[in-house]
Amino acid sequence: MEAYDIGYLSLIACFLLLAIPLFVSHYLKLGLINETVVSVSRMILQLAFVGFFLTVLFDLNNSAVNLLWLLVMILMASHSTINEVGLDLKKLLLPTVVSFIVGNFLILLYFNMFVVDLENLFDARYLIPIFGMFLGNSLRGNIISVSNFYDTIRRNENRYLYSLSLGAKRHEAILPYARKSIKLALKPSIASMSTTGIVALPGMMTGQIIAGSSPILAVKYQMAIMVGIYVSTVMTVAIGIFMTIRSSFDDYGILKKDVFKSTNT
Amino acid sequence: MNSELLKYKDISIRYGEKKVLSHFDLDIKKGDRILLKGRSGAGKSTLLKMPMGFAHQTSGNLYFNNSLLDSNTVWDARKRIAYVSQDLDIYEGSVNEFIEEVFSYSFNEGKLDRTKLRRLLVYLGFEKDVLDMHFEELSGGEKQRIGIIMSVLIGKDIYLLDEVTSSLDSALKEKVANYFLERKDWTLVIISHDDVWEKENVRVVPVGV
Ligand SMILES: Nc1ncnc2c1ncn2[C@@H]1O[C@H](COP(=O)(O)OP(=O)(O)OP(=O)(O)O)[C@@H](O)[C@H]1O
Ligand SMILES: [Mg+2]
Repeated sequence: MEAYDIGYLSLIACFLLLAIPLFVSHYLKLGLINETVVSVSRMILQLAFVGFFLTVLFDLNNSAVNLLWLLVMILMASHSTINEVGLDLKKLLLPTVVSFIVGNFLILLYFNMFVVDLENLFDARYLIPIFGMFLGNSLRGNIISVSNFYDTIRRNENRYLYSLSLGAKRHEAILPYARKSIKLALKPSIASMSTTGIVALPGMMTGQIIAGSSPILAVKYQMAIMVGIYVSTVMTVAIGIFMTIRSSFDDYGILKKDVFKSTNT
Repeated sequence: MNSELLKYKDISIRYGEKKVLSHFDLDIKKGDRILLKGRSGAGKSTLLKMPMGFAHQTSGNLYFNNSLLDSNTVWDARKRIAYVSQDLDIYEGSVNEFIEEVFSYSFNEGKLDRTKLRRLLVYLGFEKDVLDMHFEELSGGEKQRIGIIMSVLIGKDIYLLDEVTSSLDSALKEKVANYFLERKDWTLVIISHDDVWEKENVRVVPVGV
């Protein structure tokens, strides 16, 4: 059983629907027409590129190339974490890359080895989409936790320094902030696990069902994926904070001013 | 042999073009009580931040216990010195949680003396339920008193007190000043515009004249 193909004409029919949000925006003066057009165009271009790219990658299905692509994805995720948060790229790139590798790649290997039980661990058809789901979620988590962490310490510098003056070691002074940021970053994953299936059917499961899998198989995959996402997010977020600390605090235990991009201070 | 606890030697501080302190010298021995006086922006708070490693000189040297204060020795200074900042942004959460957290640091672990805490709370005019209050519910003077109590509670004998009586009423100012000045073996460096600190044996040191 294969999914019905969507022809290019049908795709255009789908885009016609966008007339509705454009009309709503115009009528209610939401000022979202430009943004909608730009972001829809970006979506089309990016997805078209990915579709083409994945086709090539899947046909090739060369382990080395697949792994190289994962590395590129990790670099892009690290770059956007640091950029999004307004930190200095040069200082924090390496620790962030490490956190993504440990948090996602190791979990992915475990996942493909023991859960999906693949013959070829680096099979593009599994490796790349699953990794993409892990990475996308841990990226979101990392942005929340890293930005919250550095923001709160910077905004509450007095409070932070006060704890140092009260005898806290560096890690003891940092821990309360790290704890709060990590919890904040994990809340969305926790919430999405507890509401999944009731409030919303997850995209991957729906996709599998449409593609012809039995709902039971799709559900099993979904469970596995959600656990994988949660574990990789926890690891990335925790490692992300503790790895960056080493280059962002000085020997006095004080947050270096130059970890922030100069435009931001 | 010199027995200075703290020694500011030829300290100058500049922030960009702005000169804050130039060639400042001060020797502080055990048991000294020093009152720093000077106009706003003269650099008084900066002087108290230096032993904690929260501000750094542009030139000159600072010694704590006869060794140069640097990124190694500063951790020792933080353990020996009680510092109360002028800034009242102390903690997010309740007073109790604050106390729990401070006494969970390995250096302070097991040192919480609840009897002393109760005594201090009563002495500074608190009801017991202040412990359950959150810092955002406390008035400036209440935060100031909690800061003072915490500094005493962790049991040190060198105190750097930056405007710790500024938001208190005159009776409380008097009580706080007396409390510290009565401990003859404590070393005190005080910044204050309140004359309750100007007592016998308190050395007034002008800053930035
Ligand atoms: N990190 C910093 N960057 C730039 N300027 C600073 C910094 N810290 C302090 N200053 C400046 O140094 C000067 C001295 O500050 P300080 O807080 O020591 O003054 P003060 O004597 O305690 O004043 P007040 O009586 O108002 O508390 C001020 O003009 C302040 O703006
Ligand atoms: Mg000051």
